[in-house]
Amino acid sequence: MALQTGSITLDTLKRGLKSGIDVTLQLAKVMIPIYFIVTLLKHTPVLGTIARLFAPFMRFFGLPGEAALVLVLGNLVNLYAAIGAIVSLSLSLKEIAILAIMLSFCHSLPVETALAKKIGLSAISVIAVRMALAVLSGLAFSILL
Amino acid sequence: MIEALKEATVGSIQSIKQISIIVIPIMLAMEILKDMGLLDRIANWFSPVVRIFGMKKESAFPLVIGIIIGLSYGAGIIFKAAKENKLSKKDLYLITYFLVAAHAVFEDTAIFAALGVSAVLLLSTRLTVAALFTFLASKFLKDLERGENNELTTKERI
Repeated sequence: MALQTGSITLDTLKRGLKSGIDVTLQLAKVMIPIYFIVTLLKHTPVLGTIARLFAPFMRFFGLPGEAALVLVLGNLVNLYAAIGAIVSLSLSLKEIAILAIMLSFCHSLPVETALAKKIGLSAISVIAVRMALAVLSGLAFSILL
Repeated sequence: MIEALKEATVGSIQSIKQISIIVIPIMLAMEILKDMGLLDRIANWFSPVVRIFGMKKESAFPLVIGIIIGLSYGAGIIFKAAKENKLSKKDLYLITYFLVAAHAVFEDTAIFAALGVSAVLLLSTRLTVAALFTFLASKFLKDLERGENNELTTKERI
């Protein structure tokens, strides 16, 4: 069951460019509002409160408290939302790497869990596996990097 | 307040520019790979690999497609492959476990690489961990294989 058998044509390049621009547009659509919201929050006490609240948990991963916002957005919305939060907070490269590997394993839970369920896996097992991989990889990166 | 708005405008536009510079070429390269028929060849290389997980060699195609292109498109291919090649439920579950951990890997990696994270580190960690987990799961899911009906029930079809 081959996807196609053709060769590279102008159409290939057009489709590639289109899918690249599509991803960028999707990213922009989600990222810009998040960026604005987080930047505005930075100028209010709200972000500080969130940071203090989550600092004890995020410390395990070598992350500041406000990084909880990144994980929540990535899991409830999608990676683009998480990116929006990452770039508007001032995080170090190591912190971004830790968040990146955690989010790689576990993100967009509502949409992707529904897909896995359609194939026949239980939602709980899929979410548990993904969260476990995220936690373990986050711990490993925070220790090893 | 004005400062914050200015900061957000400039910052978000810069970030999108930074990411699009990486993402657009990657997506272009993927389309070229597809049209060159390279995905099929990569799937062939993976046939011996899926044997390690105790899967039928036909499982390689939906697995590779899901890893490279993504979960939503992958799910469609998984159903098609399962029907055409009579993949067992266990194979189906293992493919899906691998894919929930690692899918659309080039796109995701490109986005984080644009922020400065090492692409090699992210990609290799993700694939290795997903493979290890799938291997473990293949040991635990043994029982499902025996006496399992290969046909998907209507409810499970998309």
